[in-house]
Amino acid sequence: MITLENVTKTYKNSTIALRDANVEIAKGEFVFLVGASGSGKSTFIRLLNKSETPDEGHIYVAGKDIGQLSNWKVPFLRRNIGCVFQDFKLLPTKTVSENVAFALEVIGRPRSVIDAQVPAILDLVGLAHKAESFPDELSGGEQQRVSVARAFVNRPLILLADEPTGNLDPATSVGIMRLLDRINKTGTTVVMATHDRGIVDTMRRRVIELDRGSIVRDQARGVYE
Amino acid sequence: MPIKVDYVVRETTSNLGRNITITLASIITVAVSLALVGASLMLRTGVENATARWQGGIEFVVFLRADASQTQIDAVQNELNSSPEVDSYQFVNKEEAYAEFKRLFADSPELVDSLDAGDLPPSFRVEPVNKEVDAVDSLGSQFTKSPGVERVVFASKTIRLIQQLSSRLTVGIFVVAAFLLGAAGLLILNTIRMAMFARRREIEVMKLVGATNWFIRVPFMVEGLVQGLVGAFLAIVALAAFKPFFQKWLPNPEDIPLVSGFTVGGGEMTFIFVTLGVVGILIGAIGAGVAVSRFLDV
Repeated sequence: MITLENVTKTYKNSTIALRDANVEIAKGEFVFLVGASGSGKSTFIRLLNKSETPDEGHIYVAGKDIGQLSNWKVPFLRRNIGCVFQDFKLLPTKTVSENVAFALEVIGRPRSVIDAQVPAILDLVGLAHKAESFPDELSGGEQQRVSVARAFVNRPLILLADEPTGNLDPATSVGIMRLLDRINKTGTTVVMATHDRGIVDTMRRRVIELDRGSIVRDQARGVYE
Repeated sequence: MPIKVDYVVRETTSNLGRNITITLASIITVAVSLALVGASLMLRTGVENATARWQGGIEFVVFLRADASQTQIDAVQNELNSSPEVDSYQFVNKEEAYAEFKRLFADSPELVDSLDAGDLPPSFRVEPVNKEVDAVDSLGSQFTKSPGVERVVFASKTIRLIQQLSSRLTVGIFVVAAFLLGAAGLLILNTIRMAMFARRREIEVMKLVGATNWFIRVPFMVEGLVQGLVGAFLAIVALAAFKPFFQKWLPNPEDIPLVSGFTVGGGEMTFIFVTLGVVGILIGAIGAGVAVSRFLDV
Protein backbone atom coordinates (compact mmCIF):
# COMPACT_ATOMS: atom_id res chain seq x y z
CA MET A 1 0.00 0.00 0.00
CA ILE A 2 2.84 2.40 0.91
CA THR A 3 6.47 2.06 -0.19
CA LEU A 4 9.35 4.44 0.50
CA GLU A 5 12.52 3.86 -1.53
CA ASN A 6 15.68 5.70 -0.43
CA VAL A 7 13.65 8.76 0.51
CA THR A 8 15.55 11.83 1.69
CA LYS A 9 14.00 15.15 2.63
CA THR A 10 16.04 18.19 3.58
CA TYR A 11 14.46 21.52 4.54
CA LYS A 12 15.78 24.86 3.35
CA ASN A 13 17.62 25.50 6.61
CA SER A 14 19.52 22.27 5.79
CA THR A 15 17.79 20.27 8.54
CA ILE A 16 17.69 16.68 7.39
CA ALA A 17 14.14 15.59 8.20
CA LEU A 18 14.37 12.15 6.64
CA ARG A 19 17.52 10.33 5.57
CA ASP A 20 17.52 7.45 3.09
CA ALA A 21 14.29 5.91 4.39
CA ASN A 22 13.19 2.50 3.09
CA VAL A 23 9.81 1.33 4.34
CA GLU A 24 7.15 -1.05 3.07
CA ILE A 25 3.69 -0.89 4.61
CA ALA A 26 1.13 -3.50 3.55
CA LYS A 27 -2.59 -2.94 3.08
CA GLY A 28 -4.45 -3.10 6.38
CA GLU A 29 -1.37 -2.62 8.56
CA PHE A 30 -1.33 -0.44 11.67
CA VAL A 31 2.00 1.37 12.07
CA PHE A 32 3.25 3.60 14.87
CA LEU A 33 5.93 6.19 14.10
CA VAL A 34 7.83 7.04 17.27
CA GLY A 35 10.81 9.25 18.08
CA ALA A 36 11.73 12.51 19.76
CA SER A 37 10.37 15.85 18.54
CA GLY A 38 12.16 16.79 15.32
CA SER A 39 13.05 13.19 14.49
CA GLY A 40 11.07 13.35 11.22
CA LYS A 41 7.73 11.74 12.12
CA SER A 42 5.61 14.60 10.82
CA THR A 43 7.69 14.86 7.65
CA PHE A 44 7.12 11.13 7.08
CA ILE A 45 3.35 11.71 7.32
CA ARG A 46 3.40 14.88 5.20
CA LEU A 47 5.34 13.13 2.44
CA LEU A 48 2.63 10.47 2.14
CA ASN A 49 -0.15 12.89 1.10
CA LYS A 50 2.21 15.06 -0.93
CA SER A 51 2.08 18.02 1.45
CA GLU A 52 5.86 17.75 1.01
CA THR A 53 7.87 16.32 -1.87
CA PRO A 54 11.04 14.28 -1.30
CA ASP A 55 14.43 15.53 -2.50
CA GLU A 56 15.54 12.02 -3.38
CA GLY A 57 13.94 8.61 -3.68
CA HIS A 58 10.49 7.38 -4.61
CA ILE A 59 7.25 7.11 -2.70
CA TYR A 60 4.55 4.73 -3.91
CA VAL A 61 1.03 5.00 -2.56
CA ALA A 62 -1.52 2.43 -3.79
CA GLY A 63 0.90 1.45 -6.55
CA LYS A 64 1.43 4.98 -7.88
CA ASP A 65 4.71 6.88 -7.73
CA ILE A 66 3.40 10.06 -6.13
CA GLY A 67 6.60 11.93 -6.98
CA GLN A 68 5.48 11.71 -10.63
CA LEU A 69 1.99 12.94 -9.81
CA SER A 70 1.12 16.22 -11.51
CA ASN A 71 -0.28 18.94 -9.28
CA TRP A 72 -3.84 18.68 -10.50
CA LYS A 73 -3.95 14.99 -9.58
CA VAL A 74 -2.85 15.53 -5.96
CA PRO A 75 -6.44 16.21 -4.77
CA PHE A 76 -7.47 12.80 -6.11
CA LEU A 77 -4.62 11.15 -4.20
CA ARG A 78 -5.80 12.90 -1.04
CA ARG A 79 -9.33 11.59 -1.44
CA ASN A 80 -7.85 8.18 -0.67
CA ILE A 81 -6.01 9.41 2.41
CA GLY A 82 -7.75 10.59 5.56
CA CYS A 83 -5.83 12.86 7.93
CA VAL A 84 -6.19 13.43 11.67
CA PHE A 85 -4.13 16.00 13.60
CA GLN A 86 -3.27 16.90 17.15
CA ASP A 87 -5.17 20.20 16.81
CA PHE A 88 -8.28 18.65 15.16
CA LYS A 89 -8.57 21.37 12.44
CA LEU A 90 -12.35 21.64 12.79
CA LEU A 91 -14.19 24.66 11.40
CA PRO A 92 -15.55 26.61 14.39
CA THR A 93 -18.42 28.18 12.44
CA LYS A 94 -19.85 24.84 11.37
CA THR A 95 -21.70 22.26 13.43
CA VAL A 96 -20.35 18.74 13.92
CA SER A 97 -22.50 17.39 11.13
CA GLU A 98 -21.62 20.32 8.82
CA ASN A 99 -17.92 19.80 9.50
CA VAL A 100 -18.16 16.19 8.36
CA ALA A 101 -20.48 17.04 5.45
CA PHE A 102 -18.01 19.73 4.31
CA ALA A 103 -15.40 17.07 3.49
CA LEU A 104 -17.85 15.37 1.13
CA GLU A 105 -19.32 18.59 -0.23
CA VAL A 106 -15.99 20.01 -1.42
CA ILE A 107 -15.16 16.87 -3.38
CA GLY A 108 -18.47 17.18 -5.17
CA ARG A 109 -20.46 14.36 -3.58
CA PRO A 110 -24.20 14.67 -4.22
CA ARG A 111 -26.49 15.81 -1.41
CA SER A 112 -28.17 12.40 -1.19
CA VAL A 113 -24.84 10.69 -0.51
CA ILE A 114 -23.91 13.30 2.09
CA ASP A 115 -27.28 12.99 3.85
CA ALA A 116 -26.85 9.23 4.05
CA GLN A 117 -23.19 9.00 5.05
CA VAL A 118 -22.83 11.78 7.62
CA PRO A 119 -25.27 10.35 10.20
CA ALA A 120 -23.81 6.88 9.66
CA ILE A 121 -20.24 7.98 10.37
CA LEU A 122 -21.31 10.10 13.38
CA ASP A 123 -23.02 7.01 14.71
CA LEU A 124 -19.78 5.04 14.20
CA VAL A 125 -17.74 7.54 16.23
CA GLY A 126 -20.49 7.75 18.87
CA LEU A 127 -21.45 11.38 18.33
CA ALA A 128 -24.88 11.08 16.71
CA HIS A 129 -26.40 12.96 19.65
CA LYS A 130 -24.00 15.91 19.19
CA ALA A 131 -24.57 16.37 15.45
CA GLU A 132 -25.92 19.90 15.84
CA SER A 133 -23.32 21.07 18.40
CA PHE A 134 -20.48 23.40 17.52
CA PRO A 135 -16.86 22.26 18.05
CA ASP A 136 -16.27 24.62 21.00
CA GLU A 137 -19.22 23.02 22.79
CA LEU A 138 -17.43 19.65 22.72
CA SER A 139 -14.66 18.15 24.84
CA GLY A 140 -11.24 17.55 23.27
CA GLY A 141 -11.94 13.86 22.86
CA GLU A 142 -15.26 14.54 21.18
CA GLN A 143 -13.64 17.05 18.85
CA GLN A 144 -11.03 14.46 17.87
CA ARG A 145 -13.84 11.97 17.16
CA VAL A 146 -15.41 14.50 14.80
CA SER A 147 -12.06 14.92 13.11
CA VAL A 148 -11.71 11.14 12.73
CA ALA A 149 -15.26 11.00 11.35
CA ARG A 150 -14.35 13.66 8.79
CA ALA A 151 -11.17 11.81 7.81
CA PHE A 152 -12.99 8.50 7.43
CA VAL A 153 -16.35 9.54 5.97
CA ASN A 154 -15.02 9.13 2.44
CA ARG A 155 -13.80 5.57 3.28
CA PRO A 156 -10.14 6.24 2.42
CA LEU A 157 -7.61 3.45 1.85
CA ILE A 158 -5.17 5.06 4.27
CA LEU A 159 -5.60 7.01 7.49
CA LEU A 160 -2.71 9.25 8.57
CA ALA A 161 -2.73 10.46 12.16
CA ASP A 162 -0.16 12.98 13.44
CA GLU A 163 -0.20 12.75 17.26
CA PRO A 164 -3.99 12.39 17.43
CA THR A 165 -3.88 11.93 21.21
CA GLY A 166 -1.33 14.69 21.84
CA ASN A 167 -3.92 17.03 23.38
CA LEU A 168 -5.98 14.40 25.18
CA ASP A 169 -5.86 12.83 28.64
CA PRO A 170 -4.98 9.11 28.81
CA ALA A 171 -8.56 7.88 29.34
CA THR A 172 -9.85 9.88 26.38
CA SER A 173 -6.87 8.75 24.30
CA VAL A 174 -7.88 5.13 24.82
CA GLY A 175 -11.28 5.90 23.33
CA ILE A 176 -9.69 7.45 20.24
CA MET A 177 -7.34 4.49 19.86
CA ARG A 178 -10.30 2.07 20.02
CA LEU A 179 -11.87 4.06 17.22
CA LEU A 180 -8.70 3.97 15.09
CA ASP A 181 -8.41 0.26 15.77
CA ARG A 182 -11.98 -0.28 14.54
CA ILE A 183 -11.24 1.70 11.41
CA ASN A 184 -8.08 -0.36 10.89
CA LYS A 185 -10.14 -3.55 11.18
CA THR A 186 -12.27 -2.45 8.20
CA GLY A 187 -9.10 -2.84 6.10
CA THR A 188 -7.88 0.76 6.23
CA THR A 189 -4.12 1.16 6.56
CA VAL A 190 -3.32 3.38 9.57
CA VAL A 191 -0.06 5.27 10.04
CA MET A 192 0.14 7.14 13.32
CA ALA A 193 2.91 9.33 14.69
CA THR A 194 2.86 9.44 18.48
CA HIS A 195 4.70 10.21 21.69
CA ASP A 196 2.33 8.16 23.77
CA ARG A 197 4.32 5.33 25.32
CA GLY A 198 1.28 3.83 27.03
CA ILE A 199 -0.68 3.47 23.78
CA VAL A 200 2.20 1.94 21.83
CA ASP A 201 3.03 -0.53 24.60
CA THR A 202 -0.62 -1.55 25.03
CA MET A 203 -1.49 -2.02 21.36
CA ARG A 204 1.66 -3.91 20.35
CA ARG A 205 1.61 -3.04 16.66
CA ARG A 206 4.42 -2.45 14.19
CA VAL A 207 6.72 0.33 15.42
CA ILE A 208 9.05 2.42 13.26
CA GLU A 209 11.43 4.54 15.32
CA LEU A 210 13.05 7.64 13.86
CA ASP A 211 16.11 9.42 15.21
CA ARG A 212 17.22 12.69 13.59
CA GLY A 213 15.73 11.61 10.28
CA SER A 214 17.02 8.04 10.20
CA ILE A 215 14.98 4.90 10.73
CA VAL A 216 16.73 3.20 13.67
CA ARG A 217 14.17 0.48 14.38
CA ASP A 218 11.36 -1.26 12.50
CA GLN A 219 9.76 -3.87 14.69
CA ALA A 220 6.59 -5.95 14.32
CA ARG A 221 4.41 -6.03 17.48
CA GLY A 222 6.87 -3.57 18.98
CA VAL A 223 7.02 -1.37 22.06
CA TYR A 224 7.81 2.32 22.50
CA GLU A 225 11.52 1.74 23.12
CA MET B 1 -15.95 17.25 -11.35
CA PRO B 2 -18.80 19.74 -11.71
CA ILE B 3 -18.69 22.74 -9.41
CA LYS B 4 -22.13 23.40 -8.03
CA VAL B 5 -23.54 26.82 -8.80
CA ASP B 6 -25.30 27.17 -5.45
CA TYR B 7 -22.02 26.45 -3.67
CA VAL B 8 -20.19 29.18 -5.58
CA VAL B 9 -23.02 31.67 -5.04
CA ARG B 10 -23.11 30.95 -1.31
CA GLU B 11 -19.35 31.16 -0.84
CA THR B 12 -18.99 34.29 -2.97
CA THR B 13 -21.79 36.20 -1.24
CA SER B 14 -20.43 35.31 2.18
CA ASN B 15 -16.93 36.41 1.11
CA LEU B 16 -18.24 39.70 -0.26
CA GLY B 17 -20.26 40.32 2.90
CA ARG B 18 -17.38 39.48 5.21
CA ASN B 19 -15.16 42.24 3.81
CA ILE B 20 -17.93 44.66 2.97
CA THR B 21 -15.93 47.88 3.49
CA ILE B 22 -12.93 46.97 1.37
CA THR B 23 -15.23 45.36 -1.20
CA LEU B 24 -17.07 48.68 -1.47
CA ALA B 25 -13.74 50.51 -1.78
CA SER B 26 -12.70 48.39 -4.75
CA ILE B 27 -16.12 48.62 -6.39
CA ILE B 28 -16.14 52.42 -6.05
CA THR B 29 -12.61 52.68 -7.43
CA VAL B 30 -13.55 50.52 -10.41
CA ALA B 31 -16.71 52.61 -10.92
CA VAL B 32 -14.92 55.98 -10.74
CA SER B 33 -12.10 54.95 -13.08
CA LEU B 34 -14.44 53.36 -15.59
CA ALA B 35 -16.74 56.41 -15.44
CA LEU B 36 -13.72 58.55 -16.33
CA VAL B 37 -12.82 56.25 -19.22
CA GLY B 38 -16.43 56.36 -20.39
CA ALA B 39 -16.67 60.14 -20.08
CA SER B 40 -13.52 60.66 -22.09
CA LEU B 41 -14.75 58.22 -24.74
CA MET B 42 -18.01 60.19 -24.88
CA LEU B 43 -16.11 63.44 -25.19
CA ARG B 44 -13.97 62.07 -27.99
CA THR B 45 -16.94 60.63 -29.83
CA GLY B 46 -18.83 63.90 -29.41
CA VAL B 47 -15.99 65.96 -30.83
CA GLU B 48 -15.44 63.49 -33.66
CA ASN B 49 -19.09 63.71 -34.59
CA ALA B 50 -19.14 67.49 -34.31
CA THR B 51 -16.12 67.80 -36.55
CA ALA B 52 -16.91 64.78 -38.70
CA ARG B 53 -16.35 66.55 -41.98
CA TRP B 54 -13.04 68.01 -40.84
CA GLN B 55 -11.09 64.83 -40.22
CA GLY B 56 -8.02 63.55 -41.99
CA GLY B 57 -6.58 66.88 -43.12
CA ILE B 58 -9.75 68.19 -44.81
CA GLU B 59 -9.34 71.97 -44.89
CA PHE B 60 -12.35 73.16 -46.86
CA VAL B 61 -15.64 71.84 -48.17
CA VAL B 62 -17.16 72.88 -51.48
CA PHE B 63 -20.94 72.70 -51.02
CA LEU B 64 -22.84 72.39 -54.27
CA ARG B 65 -26.38 73.57 -54.69
CA ALA B 66 -28.96 70.93 -53.96
CA ASP B 67 -30.18 71.32 -57.54
CA ALA B 68 -26.71 71.29 -59.15
CA SER B 69 -26.68 69.35 -62.42
CA GLN B 70 -24.40 66.40 -63.05
CA THR B 71 -22.50 68.46 -65.65
CA GLN B 72 -21.79 71.14 -63.03
CA ILE B 73 -20.66 68.51 -60.51
CA ASP B 74 -18.35 66.94 -63.13
CA ALA B 75 -16.90 70.36 -63.95
CA VAL B 76 -15.98 71.00 -60.31
CA GLN B 77 -14.52 67.50 -60.07
CA ASN B 78 -12.37 68.09 -63.18
CA GLU B 79 -11.15 71.31 -61.67
CA LEU B 80 -10.15 69.47 -58.48
CA ASN B 81 -8.47 66.69 -60.46
CA SER B 82 -6.41 69.10 -62.51
CA SER B 83 -5.27 71.35 -59.68
CA PRO B 84 -1.74 70.49 -58.44
CA GLU B 85 -2.62 72.20 -55.16
CA VAL B 86 -5.19 69.52 -54.27
CA ASP B 87 -3.75 66.55 -52.43
CA SER B 88 -6.98 64.55 -52.26
CA TYR B 89 -10.70 65.07 -52.11
CA GLN B 90 -13.79 63.12 -51.25
CA PHE B 91 -17.18 63.47 -52.91
CA VAL B 92 -20.18 63.21 -50.58
CA ASN B 93 -23.39 62.73 -52.52
CA LYS B 94 -26.88 63.57 -51.29
CA GLU B 95 -27.55 60.11 -49.89
CA GLU B 96 -24.26 60.00 -47.98
CA ALA B 97 -24.84 63.50 -46.63
CA TYR B 98 -28.30 62.43 -45.47
CA ALA B 99 -26.96 59.24 -43.88
CA GLU B 100 -24.37 61.23 -41.96
CA PHE B 101 -26.99 63.76 -40.92
CA LYS B 102 -29.22 60.97 -39.67
CA ARG B 103 -26.36 59.48 -37.70
CA LEU B 104 -25.35 62.75 -36.07
CA PHE B 105 -28.89 63.77 -35.20
CA ALA B 106 -30.17 60.35 -34.26
CA ASP B 107 -31.26 61.84 -30.94
CA SER B 108 -33.48 64.42 -32.63
CA PRO B 109 -35.83 62.38 -34.81
CA GLU B 110 -38.10 65.39 -35.47
CA LEU B 111 -35.13 67.10 -37.14
CA VAL B 112 -34.37 64.03 -39.21
CA ASP B 113 -38.02 63.68 -40.23
CA SER B 114 -38.20 67.27 -41.38
CA LEU B 115 -35.60 66.60 -44.07
CA ASP B 116 -35.17 64.01 -46.73
CA ALA B 117 -32.22 63.01 -48.88
CA GLY B 118 -33.09 65.55 -51.61
CA ASP B 119 -32.76 68.55 -49.27
CA LEU B 120 -29.10 68.12 -48.41
CA PRO B 121 -26.44 69.47 -50.76
CA PRO B 122 -23.73 67.22 -52.16
CA SER B 123 -20.20 68.37 -51.42
CA PHE B 124 -16.49 67.87 -52.07
CA ARG B 125 -14.25 67.61 -49.03
CA VAL B 126 -10.80 68.78 -50.05
CA GLU B 127 -7.38 68.20 -48.55
CA PRO B 128 -4.91 70.68 -50.02
CA VAL B 129 -1.16 70.02 -50.44
CA ASN B 130 -0.23 73.23 -48.65
CA LYS B 131 -2.11 73.69 -45.39
CA GLU B 132 -1.02 77.28 -44.66
CA VAL B 133 -4.07 79.46 -44.02
CA ASP B 134 -3.38 81.81 -46.97
CA ALA B 135 -2.78 78.99 -49.45
CA VAL B 136 -5.95 77.19 -48.35
CA ASP B 137 -7.94 80.43 -48.62
CA SER B 138 -6.82 81.19 -52.14
CA LEU B 139 -7.30 77.62 -53.36
CA GLY B 140 -10.77 77.39 -51.84
CA SER B 141 -11.85 80.73 -53.20
CA GLN B 142 -11.24 79.53 -56.77
CA PHE B 143 -14.30 77.33 -56.45
CA THR B 144 -16.74 79.92 -55.12
CA LYS B 145 -17.48 81.24 -58.59
CA SER B 146 -17.84 77.88 -60.32
CA PRO B 147 -21.35 77.15 -61.58
CA GLY B 148 -23.42 74.98 -59.26
CA VAL B 149 -21.38 75.83 -56.17
CA GLU B 150 -23.43 77.13 -53.25
CA ARG B 151 -20.51 78.14 -51.06
CA VAL B 152 -17.07 77.09 -49.80
CA VAL B 153 -16.61 76.53 -46.07
CA PHE B 154 -13.18 76.53 -44.48
CA ALA B 155 -12.00 74.70 -41.41
CA SER B 156 -11.39 77.43 -38.94
CA LYS B 157 -8.77 77.64 -36.21
CA THR B 158 -11.60 76.98 -33.78
CA ILE B 159 -12.14 73.49 -35.18
CA ARG B 160 -8.46 72.61 -35.10
CA LEU B 161 -8.36 73.92 -31.55
CA ILE B 162 -11.35 71.84 -30.49
CA GLN B 163 -9.88 68.72 -32.04
CA GLN B 164 -6.51 69.32 -30.41
CA LEU B 165 -8.02 70.12 -27.03
CA SER B 166 -10.22 67.06 -27.07
CA SER B 167 -7.42 64.72 -28.06
CA ARG B 168 -5.17 66.07 -25.30
CA LEU B 169 -7.98 65.94 -22.79
CA THR B 170 -8.76 62.37 -23.82
CA VAL B 171 -5.12 61.34 -23.36
CA GLY B 172 -4.98 63.09 -19.97
CA ILE B 173 -8.14 61.46 -18.70
CA PHE B 174 -6.99 58.08 -20.01
CA VAL B 175 -3.71 58.35 -18.10
CA VAL B 176 -5.52 59.20 -14.86
CA ALA B 177 -8.03 56.42 -15.50
CA ALA B 178 -5.24 53.92 -16.19
CA PHE B 179 -3.68 54.69 -12.79
CA LEU B 180 -7.07 54.41 -11.11
CA LEU B 181 -7.75 51.10 -12.86
CA GLY B 182 -4.37 49.85 -11.65
CA ALA B 183 -5.32 50.89 -8.12
CA ALA B 184 -8.68 49.16 -8.55
CA GLY B 185 -6.97 45.96 -9.65
CA LEU B 186 -4.67 46.06 -6.61
CA LEU B 187 -7.63 46.72 -4.31
CA ILE B 188 -9.51 43.74 -5.74
CA LEU B 189 -6.38 41.64 -5.34
CA ASN B 190 -6.13 42.63 -1.69
CA THR B 191 -9.83 42.15 -1.02
CA ILE B 192 -9.53 38.61 -2.28
CA ARG B 193 -6.35 38.05 -0.35
CA MET B 194 -8.20 39.09 2.80
CA ALA B 195 -11.09 36.82 1.93
CA MET B 196 -8.63 33.96 1.52
CA PHE B 197 -7.01 34.80 4.84
CA ALA B 198 -10.41 34.86 6.53
CA ARG B 199 -11.11 31.41 5.09
CA ARG B 200 -7.66 29.91 5.58
CA ARG B 201 -9.01 27.16 7.85
CA GLU B 202 -11.62 26.12 5.31
CA ILE B 203 -9.00 26.20 2.55
CA GLU B 204 -6.63 24.03 4.59
CA VAL B 205 -9.36 21.48 5.22
CA MET B 206 -10.45 21.55 1.58
CA LYS B 207 -6.90 20.77 0.48
CA LEU B 208 -6.62 17.98 3.03
CA VAL B 209 -9.76 16.18 1.96
CA GLY B 210 -8.92 16.53 -1.72
CA ALA B 211 -10.96 19.41 -3.11
CA THR B 212 -9.60 20.28 -6.56
CA ASN B 213 -7.65 23.49 -7.03
CA TRP B 214 -10.38 24.94 -9.22
CA PHE B 215 -13.02 24.10 -6.68
CA ILE B 216 -11.10 26.19 -4.14
CA ARG B 217 -10.28 28.98 -6.58
CA VAL B 218 -13.59 29.52 -8.33
CA PRO B 219 -15.46 31.33 -5.54
CA PHE B 220 -12.56 33.80 -5.20
CA MET B 221 -12.38 34.29 -8.96
CA VAL B 222 -16.12 34.96 -9.06
CA GLU B 223 -15.70 37.41 -6.19
CA GLY B 224 -13.21 39.43 -8.25
CA LEU B 225 -15.42 39.30 -11.32
CA VAL B 226 -18.44 40.48 -9.33
CA GLN B 227 -16.48 43.45 -8.00
CA GLY B 228 -15.32 44.42 -11.50
CA LEU B 229 -18.77 43.91 -12.96
CA VAL B 230 -20.63 45.84 -10.25
CA GLY B 231 -18.11 48.68 -10.61
CA ALA B 232 -18.66 48.73 -14.37
CA PHE B 233 -22.43 48.64 -13.88
CA LEU B 234 -22.29 51.67 -11.52
CA ALA B 235 -20.11 53.52 -14.04
CA ILE B 236 -22.61 52.77 -16.82
CA VAL B 237 -25.54 53.95 -14.71
CA ALA B 238 -23.66 57.14 -13.82
CA LEU B 239 -22.80 57.87 -17.47
CA ALA B 240 -26.32 57.16 -18.67
CA ALA B 241 -27.64 59.60 -16.05
CA PHE B 242 -24.96 62.12 -16.96
CA LYS B 243 -25.45 62.00 -20.73
CA PRO B 244 -28.26 64.62 -21.00
CA PHE B 245 -26.07 67.11 -19.08
CA PHE B 246 -23.08 66.25 -21.26
CA GLN B 247 -24.93 67.57 -24.28
CA LYS B 248 -25.99 70.72 -22.45
CA TRP B 249 -22.55 71.55 -21.08
CA LEU B 250 -20.80 71.40 -24.41
CA PRO B 251 -20.95 74.47 -26.60
CA ASN B 252 -24.10 74.80 -28.64
CA PRO B 253 -23.24 74.10 -32.28
CA GLU B 254 -24.98 77.32 -33.30
CA ASP B 255 -22.40 79.32 -31.34
CA ILE B 256 -19.55 77.79 -33.29
CA PRO B 257 -20.09 77.83 -37.00
CA LEU B 258 -19.14 74.90 -39.19
CA VAL B 259 -19.60 72.09 -36.70
CA SER B 260 -22.47 69.71 -36.35
CA GLY B 261 -23.86 68.94 -32.89
CA PHE B 262 -21.76 67.43 -30.12
CA THR B 263 -23.88 64.33 -30.12
CA VAL B 264 -23.14 60.81 -29.05
CA GLY B 265 -25.53 58.38 -30.68
CA GLY B 266 -27.28 55.43 -29.04
CA GLY B 267 -25.12 52.89 -30.87
CA GLU B 268 -21.99 54.70 -29.80
CA MET B 269 -23.17 54.77 -26.18
CA THR B 270 -23.81 51.02 -26.37
CA PHE B 271 -20.28 50.51 -27.65
CA ILE B 272 -18.87 52.61 -24.78
CA PHE B 273 -20.95 50.70 -22.22
CA VAL B 274 -19.85 47.33 -23.59
CA THR B 275 -16.23 48.52 -23.48
CA LEU B 276 -16.63 49.53 -19.84
CA GLY B 277 -18.23 46.20 -18.97
CA VAL B 278 -15.41 44.28 -20.63
CA VAL B 279 -12.72 46.39 -18.93
CA GLY B 280 -14.47 45.94 -15.56
CA ILE B 281 -14.57 42.17 -15.99
CA LEU B 282 -10.92 42.16 -17.07
CA ILE B 283 -9.80 44.18 -14.04
CA GLY B 284 -11.72 41.86 -11.72
CA ALA B 285 -10.40 38.75 -13.43
CA ILE B 286 -6.79 39.98 -13.42
CA GLY B 287 -6.92 41.07 -9.76
CA ALA B 288 -8.52 37.82 -8.69
CA GLY B 289 -6.33 35.73 -10.96
CA VAL B 290 -3.13 37.17 -9.51
CA ALA B 291 -4.50 36.76 -5.97
CA VAL B 292 -5.40 33.09 -6.37
CA SER B 293 -2.20 32.19 -8.17
CA ARG B 294 0.07 34.11 -5.80
CA PHE B 295 -1.56 33.64 -2.41
CA LEU B 296 -3.60 30.47 -2.71
CA ASP B 297 -0.92 27.86 -2.35
CA VAL B 298 -2.80 24.93 -3.85
